[in-house]
Amino acid sequence: MRGAARTSVVVLVLIAVIVAAALGYVAGTRRMSSQQPTEARRLEIFHWWTAGGEREAADAMLKAFKDKYPDVEVVENPVAGGGGVSHRVVLQARLSAGVPPDTWQTLGGAELKSYVDGGNLVPLDELFTELKLADAIPKPLANAVTINGHPYVVPLNMHIQNILYYNQKLFAELKLQPPTTVDELITVAKAIKAAKPNMSPLGLGSKEKWGAAFVLDSILLELGGPEYYVRLYKGEVDVKTDATYKAALEKLRDLAPYIYQFHAGLTWDESVGLVVSGDSAMVIMGTWAIGYFKSRNWTPGTDFGAVTFPQKPDRILLFHPDTYGIAKGAPHARTAMDWLRVVGSQELQVPTDVTQGGLFARLDIDPAKFPDPIRQELQNYVRSNPGKLILDQHGSIAPFSFTQAYWDVIAAFTAKPDVAGTINKVAELFTTFKVKEEAAWYTWP
Amino acid sequence: MIGAVDRPPRPSLLRARAGEAAIFALPLVIFLFLLYAMLGWTFYTSVSNWQGTAANYSFGGLKWYRLMFSLDRFWVDIGNNLRWITIGVVPTVVAAVLLAYLLEIGTIKGVEPYLRTLILYPAAMSFIVTGTIWSWMYQPDRGVLNTILRGVGLGSIASGYTTDPDSATYWLILIFVWQYLGMSVLIVQASLRTAELQEMVESATLDGASRLRTLLHIIVPNIRGGLLVVVSLLLISALKVFDIVYVVTFGGPGYATDVLALHMLIATFQQHLVALGAGLAMVIFVLAFVIIIPYTIYALQRWFD
Repeated sequence: MRGAARTSVVVLVLIAVIVAAALGYVAGTRRMSSQQPTEARRLEIFHWWTAGGEREAADAMLKAFKDKYPDVEVVENPVAGGGGVSHRVVLQARLSAGVPPDTWQTLGGAELKSYVDGGNLVPLDELFTELKLADAIPKPLANAVTINGHPYVVPLNMHIQNILYYNQKLFAELKLQPPTTVDELITVAKAIKAAKPNMSPLGLGSKEKWGAAFVLDSILLELGGPEYYVRLYKGEVDVKTDATYKAALEKLRDLAPYIYQFHAGLTWDESVGLVVSGDSAMVIMGTWAIGYFKSRNWTPGTDFGAVTFPQKPDRILLFHPDTYGIAKGAPHARTAMDWLRVVGSQELQVPTDVTQGGLFARLDIDPAKFPDPIRQELQNYVRSNPGKLILDQHGSIAPFSFTQAYWDVIAAFTAKPDVAGTINKVAELFTTFKVKEEAAWYTWP
Repeated sequence: MIGAVDRPPRPSLLRARAGEAAIFALPLVIFLFLLYAMLGWTFYTSVSNWQGTAANYSFGGLKWYRLMFSLDRFWVDIGNNLRWITIGVVPTVVAAVLLAYLLEIGTIKGVEPYLRTLILYPAAMSFIVTGTIWSWMYQPDRGVLNTILRGVGLGSIASGYTTDPDSATYWLILIFVWQYLGMSVLIVQASLRTAELQEMVESATLDGASRLRTLLHIIVPNIRGGLLVVVSLLLISALKVFDIVYVVTFGGPGYATDVLALHMLIATFQQHLVALGAGLAMVIFVLAFVIIIPYTIYALQRWFD
């Protein structure tokens, strides 16, 4: 009798579990399908702006949209993690399962291309004509969001990668000029090391891997020039026998003693923090570092200065945009289209970009809207020289499969400089990931 | 009721038994289906052409495995995973047995419960928390370890810890040992407390056996069940290690501390080489199979002898 009672209890529990699971499933599918039949005024958006400074920018961005379309319910799906590392895990799962969000943040360039190749985005030719966007943004930016002749996303900013930030007070104290070439950088680093033996003159963080490639990019840009830089990442240079690439690695090796030794443990913001804490005097980082300096109460123009680096043979700006597109099969395609109209507008770009740290994607916005002299000057430069923009590591000319592996190799090089071995590894990556084929879409100037 | 066992069961009872069997077998069937269907799916993905964000199940052959074996990073992963399952497991088990024995025979019986709690604490924390704490310990400039070393005048042996490509993996493994030691001690201690073993130890002590002899010749051979559990748990955890590496070094410097599981994440979601990621998952599976299954069979046989 006791055994039978126990059996019936077990059976009841099992039935309860099965019923609960079935109910949960039905509830889940109902919630999803209820979004589909009539186009509700709803927008599901994926982005990775969750860190300090970025969160405020995301709020400014969504507020600009809400101001224009107050009836839309915005479903935000932010995934923490700088540069979108975790974001891509969640997004990939949604895309493969065929339940995409309406719109998501992507970088222009190779990442965008992977979504276009996957058939995840719809072309936006009509929207670009309607908004006259091609005339409003610089040509290289338009190229970075155009794949196979069609624009697929609307850019809301431009980040510049090759900027050297320096401790302005220290430079004044030691009577140093900000370096414009790699040799000047080494000279300045030597002077700082002599005056402050406990300092590592150049800060670096390579935990996220791309930090090291930033430094190498600046060196390559100087030793090879812009055409070389583009040819290299288009896979048209034979790295194995190339003298410029070898010379660039050797320069980086010469620079290594002046680089913060324990960079492998630091993320990008921590590497900028080295300058604030006085462990380092300089750091090469993108425009997003301005927001970080501000959050540590460092004022541009008095506490820290910034120059594009290098400035010879040409003052090139390596850049990438943050962009949004519309998913193929988006549940709320019409609302998403309204969203993109706002993304491409001054009303959204001014508050968002000023907060987040990039430049305006639109050239018709007054550079004086930026509070800091650094970005005012950069925006002015882009306005008069739009042709000087080239895609950077994040925007990536080469395919993403290559770029990720390349960062690792260069980060390893800065930890343990081995020129010959690194050249072999890099050459292998270029052929393994078929860079020449996959990067053929990119044209510059 | 005693006589009922010998009589052949009535048909209605048989029917009830069959129903019962079906109910209990159902979860097992569902579980096995999920497990092996997913395994099969992963394997098929690894020989497909899936590259990019859209699923592509056309057959691609072994090209991803060929690519995998040609990657330097893959062999670094294999080396590191082997380091994890040897250096992460063997010292932990040895230390756990010693500690458990010390706690048992300790003359300091009064503090034993507190000591045990203290040792067990790390196991209660998630790897994310442990990883963050140890990042602070290891931080070369202002981290706890180097600050202490410099404070006592041993600044010359201060190290870069996880930022030094040659030794970084070993420092990561130390975190793992620290985290799992407590749990291992607990399991070993539980198996020390069986009545038979206690009696054996008592008689050995009466016969004048030394404590070391008792440990090596009486205790260790008689706690095989506990050791089986500990070793299997540690092997599995070390083989699938991901969180510690992800939090503390993210595979760096370069890819010096990379492991198969992290490479799988990068390949699948960063590089969008989904088929390659699935291939790496298969390698983890095969490793687990090769290492853990024979051990389990061996240990179970000896256990039941």
